[in-house]
Amino acid sequence: MTVETVINDNVLATAERLIVEMRSGNEDQAAKALDELVRAREVSLFQEIGKLTREFHDALASFRVDSRVADLAEKDIPDARERLNHVITMTQNAADRTMSAVEHSLPLVEDIANVAVNLRAQWQRFQKREMNAQEFRELAKSIDVFLGTTETKSADLKSKLNDVLMAQDFQDLTGQIIKRVITLVEDVEANLVNLIKLSSQKVVPANTHYDAIKAEGPVVPGVKTDGAVSGQDAVDDLLLSLGF
Amino acid sequence: MKILIVDDFSTMRRIIKNLLRDLGFNNTSEADDGKTALPMLKAGDFQFLITDWNMPGMQGIDLLKAVRADDKLKTLPVMLVTAEQKREQIVAAAEAGVNGYIVKPFTAATLKEKIDKIFARIEGGA
Repeated sequence: MTVETVINDNVLATAERLIVEMRSGNEDQAAKALDELVRAREVSLFQEIGKLTREFHDALASFRVDSRVADLAEKDIPDARERLNHVITMTQNAADRTMSAVEHSLPLVEDIANVAVNLRAQWQRFQKREMNAQEFRELAKSIDVFLGTTETKSADLKSKLNDVLMAQDFQDLTGQIIKRVITLVEDVEANLVNLIKLSSQKVVPANTHYDAIKAEGPVVPGVKTDGAVSGQDAVDDLLLSLGF
Repeated sequence: MKILIVDDFSTMRRIIKNLLRDLGFNNTSEADDGKTALPMLKAGDFQFLITDWNMPGMQGIDLLKAVRADDKLKTLPVMLVTAEQKREQIVAAAEAGVNGYIVKPFTAATLKEKIDKIFARIEGGA
């Protein structure tokens, strides 16, 4: 027998008594019975309020326990700002590196082209037999020099082109960073929805569990990554110390 | 030598492909995720795997573990090229049997050095 059925049975009994007393004209007894009914109503009302208060308290408590919202405000969103600023820095650097390489390379190509044009003109003179021996010796010397410097300049060019290639490495890293920020934004969105729901529904606490090897994306200055080592040398040292 | 390059960013795959070509390795294939890479490895006759860690379908660490767990693939040299550089991750990769670990951003010289190291070790029978 639940508390409720006991209460309902009492209310019914009191109601029946009320009717009996009223029919009998016993005003005092009737009034007493009516009082009891009113009090019973109040009790059940207080119980309802108590239950709601308890549920609200629990929801607030579990909301506090799920400190995701606090984390978002204090840590994740400032982190996101750092990450995006870093994206700007990286793309800026990549653009600078690329343009420097190009600016260095263009004069090289122009030099080679100019000298080649010049030599070609002289070579044509030679072919048309418009050149004397002395001039030819000078031409031979020029060609020799040209071949040497072209070799050097080509190597330089190749190196610069490689710089341009490597400068594109930002895209992969910035892409990863941006993807993470998108995930964060989705997280914020979910939490806002939860906040809205809080008024009508108990919030279920998040089940966070620390995964030490979870992917974290590139290291960003200003954003702390627990346990991150600093650069290839540190990686090599760690592996060496483990016997690899 | 037939090499498989795995990374979800095509830019990075292109960079590695070009660097390998400069080092004389012209026989390269690409996959954009551990998930698509594994069947390629099982079907093809690759001699070297270069993979990223952070990929949406199957992460590089899981691809490495799958390779080491497969009878046909377990001795395949594997190099991780990744932005992930937490101690625990490096240790986990080493314990899972990775042959080389390069952190991004990296230089062409580093790539060459690590590849040489892996294959010198293999030739030396270490």
